[in-house]
Amino acid sequence: MFLKVQLPWNVIISAEDLDAKGLMLQRSIIIRLLDDFACKKATKDLGYFSAVTTLDSIGEGKVRQHSGDVLFPVVFSGITFKLFRGEILDGVVHKVLKHGVFLRCGPVENVYLSNLKMADYKYVPGENPIFLNDKLSKIGKDVTVRFMVIGTKWLEVEREFQALVSLEGDFLGPVS
Amino acid sequence: MSGEEEENAAELKIGDEFLKAKCLMNCEVSLILEHKYEQLQQMSDDPMNQVSQVFEKSLQYVKRFSRYKNPDAVRQVREILSRYQLAEFELCVLGNLCPETVEEAIAMVPSIKNRGRALDDEAIEKMLNDLSLIKRFE
Repeated sequence: MFLKVQLPWNVIISAEDLDAKGLMLQRSIIIRLLDDFACKKATKDLGYFSAVTTLDSIGEGKVRQHSGDVLFPVVFSGITFKLFRGEILDGVVHKVLKHGVFLRCGPVENVYLSNLKMADYKYVPGENPIFLNDKLSKIGKDVTVRFMVIGTKWLEVEREFQALVSLEGDFLGPVS
Repeated sequence: MSGEEEENAAELKIGDEFLKAKCLMNCEVSLILEHKYEQLQQMSDDPMNQVSQVFEKSLQYVKRFSRYKNPDAVRQVREILSRYQLAEFELCVLGNLCPETVEEAIAMVPSIKNRGRALDDEAIEKMLNDLSLIKRFE
């Protein structure tokens, strides 16, 4: 689910980027904020940072003693993406393995659907391996699948989420 | 796996801060991100280079999974769904997945039946009909 969030942030502007004209300062703050935001990628609580939408307020800058950089507390609004356990979503298969498939869902790359969680599907090997059930419903590369999230895991080092998903439930499976 | 053992979106247990947070439908995110992207295009020759990977993947996803493209239709979808006392989260799941039948709607958002709201099958049916009308006239 995409969320609209408002976040406080500390933006540090180095002394050489400071300019007496206010407009330039505002610009530096926005550029710096966008960079920081893009680097951060995701947080455990809010999920992936997709975009900054507005810069809502800029607080008073504080000069840092040793470097001469100035720290501005700002508040901005943005869009994040987070997977919730129990949520139903559409994703696209990008990798088919013997024991399950990996899907992409929004910015999340590692959404795993194990064969155990789609028990009526059988693995069919080949150049383009697929999973097939009795009703000839097919799960292969680039197929859209509707699934339910059964667990998520935050990886601190990679700053990424992994998710386990399932097809056990009504109206779940490949979507044409 | 998840730290909060309690979390279950099917029962609308997603933590107070998210229940109150504004959720966005894919079609709304698509309008916002495409507008951002156009702004960047005007400022630089190679806009894809200017955006983060998360932005790029989000944009690709919402372009593919937006049921409504036209800004007026997007506004109407939210307007219609807001008449039914849905939580933000429920509203967006319905707007994203566009269930066709009452049964499917309840399977996608089980919490619409669990909470003490008088959202009977007839009301859900009417809601789905109104949504499909928007789609047809888009």
